[in-house]
Amino acid sequence: MTAARILVAKTSLDGHWRGINVVSRALRDGGFEVILAGMVTADTIARVAADEDVDLIGLNVGGRVEVVERILDTLAEHGVKTPVFAGGTIPHYAVEKLEKRGVRCFPPGSSLDDIVACARELTGTVA
Amino acid sequence: MTRREWTTVSGIPLKPAYGPDDVPSEYKTSAAPGTVPYLRGAHPLGYRSKPWRIFQLSGFGNPEDEAERIRYLLEKGGTGFIMEHDRMTGDNLYDVDHPEVVARREDVGISGAVIMSARDCELALTGIDQAANYAHAGGGVAQHAPFAMAAYWNVALRRGLKLEQLNGTGQADFFLTYIGCPPLHQIPPAAALKVNCDIIEFCNQNLPNWVPVSMAGYNGADSGLNAYQELGALFACNIAHLDEIKRRGTVPLEKLATALGGVSFRMAMDFFEDICKIRAARKMWHDILRDRYGITDERATRLRIHIVTAGSAMTYQEPVNNIVRGTVMGLSAVLAGVQSMGISAYDEALSVPSEQAHQQSVRAQQILMHETNLTAVTDPLGGSFYVESLTAELEERAYEFMREIDENGGFIAALESGFLHGVASENQLRLEDMISEGTREIVGVNVHTSDHDPFNIDGFQGSLDAWERGMQRLETLRNERDTDVAMRAIDDLAKTCADGGNVMASVMDAVGKDVTVGEVGEVFRTEFGSWKFPVSF
Repeated sequence: MTAARILVAKTSLDGHWRGINVVSRALRDGGFEVILAGMVTADTIARVAADEDVDLIGLNVGGRVEVVERILDTLAEHGVKTPVFAGGTIPHYAVEKLEKRGVRCFPPGSSLDDIVACARELTGTVA
Repeated sequence: MTRREWTTVSGIPLKPAYGPDDVPSEYKTSAAPGTVPYLRGAHPLGYRSKPWRIFQLSGFGNPEDEAERIRYLLEKGGTGFIMEHDRMTGDNLYDVDHPEVVARREDVGISGAVIMSARDCELALTGIDQAANYAHAGGGVAQHAPFAMAAYWNVALRRGLKLEQLNGTGQADFFLTYIGCPPLHQIPPAAALKVNCDIIEFCNQNLPNWVPVSMAGYNGADSGLNAYQELGALFACNIAHLDEIKRRGTVPLEKLATALGGVSFRMAMDFFEDICKIRAARKMWHDILRDRYGITDERATRLRIHIVTAGSAMTYQEPVNNIVRGTVMGLSAVLAGVQSMGISAYDEALSVPSEQAHQQSVRAQQILMHETNLTAVTDPLGGSFYVESLTAELEERAYEFMREIDENGGFIAALESGFLHGVASENQLRLEDMISEGTREIVGVNVHTSDHDPFNIDGFQGSLDAWERGMQRLETLRNERDTDVAMRAIDDLAKTCADGGNVMASVMDAVGKDVTVGEVGEVFRTEFGSWKFPVSF
């Protein structure tokens, strides 16, 4: 069986890579293939998600929730039904908004084990 | 619980107690504070003669929001101010109508105030006396520094002040975006070094009371460099600057040493290791200037230190506990002996600071300054077996790391090859593993956790109209300015960049003619090119 594929993208133009470095290592160790998209716009995320046939999209949030919501809208417009989870500096009011739309959120201090377990659940894979 | 190893967070082994045999002889006979090599402090009377500067970073939303927050902080007792420009437009050198900005327009203003022109900067300084206040004009990021300072200086000129009246500091740091958080496009490190040396020359000629550049080990440390790597990399970076200007022969070495001798470091949660790092830093800078450059003027070899408490130490969980963390880190800075300080806000992990959080950061500093009697005696930890031993150990390891950087071709080459990023990455992963394994304990995160936070602290939302209002100001500016004059200034800037002339002088002239940050960016991108960051993310 081939590894499930996770597309990781940044929502903002803030290039802090520490979080992605740590999380993508944990996901790779957990058996996933990680595709790093970098600081790209909503359209690019939707296109790459479709082209690469990914199983999960991980958003690294460094800005406002409205930008994340635009990405979710764009994915819907493109007919991309891939599940989405998110990590980063996401205040509580933003977590509430995103979780209502089915996006599981991992703010600072989240355990890497919980993030990997969530990825397994959302992609239907087991360890 | 996993058995912990007793080391510093940088991995230096620790004994259960220290004695006289642990202290190298050089550290037993340390000169008094205020005398070379300044191990024990920059000034003989310490805080009695020079209290540290309460120097907090601020900025969000619209220029008017920034002005209001700066006035608020000064009123609460800040003794200087640090302007934070919106990072999306600032770090990237974009105007708000750039397609990459428009695609994420709601993010504009979340990390700083939108300042695209000298006019915007004037709004951000409404009601603030530039002649009376010590300022950091923004431009923490190297490629942004010429614009940020030019905007601030041009506002002063428009208000009838002279440049030599201005007191303050630049930054133009190499650690923030060349290691920690790159923007989408930035000029290559070698071009930034060239521009930084132009800034030093420009200030040497025009702004005698302005620190032209100030490297921030803080940004290297919060990106993963450990304590001795932070020291080694910072001095390697300063050496790259010293060597370049020495080669040009345009600024006397003593003045150059003073220009580069204001730096910042990070204080994090390993209390003694960071205190010893600051003590070692003063000695190293003096010794490097004496041994490598033959500088004997004692005033020129005195390192001046700003510290910022680690943003990364502030937790998202139970943020009120961050008040304690900020206080502990601030205390370590006071004990180490510093010239200025910023304490990160308790809501750091959620957003830029709310007004309440900002006030609390100032109050924490004031409590340390006024209530504790800490300011009475300089270097109170000097002579401690442990402190002197650890200071010596950090110094030795920092020099070793400088040698590694040298072996990798020097500071600029070590950035370009990704050597420093590799070191940072390794530490990032190791620190995270220690949290996962429980060998590094963080209250509320991996020990003593709780699902319920009784304090209801959430992220500060700032202003939601920063992009729209930025678009309006940009349109007004383009309609009102003398287009021919502005376009000629842009052409002149391009010529200066191509011919190797002084870029700071040319940006100063252009911004005075209402050229925008995005227009400066277009010139830089065309003339200097974009650097390919050595890490994928």
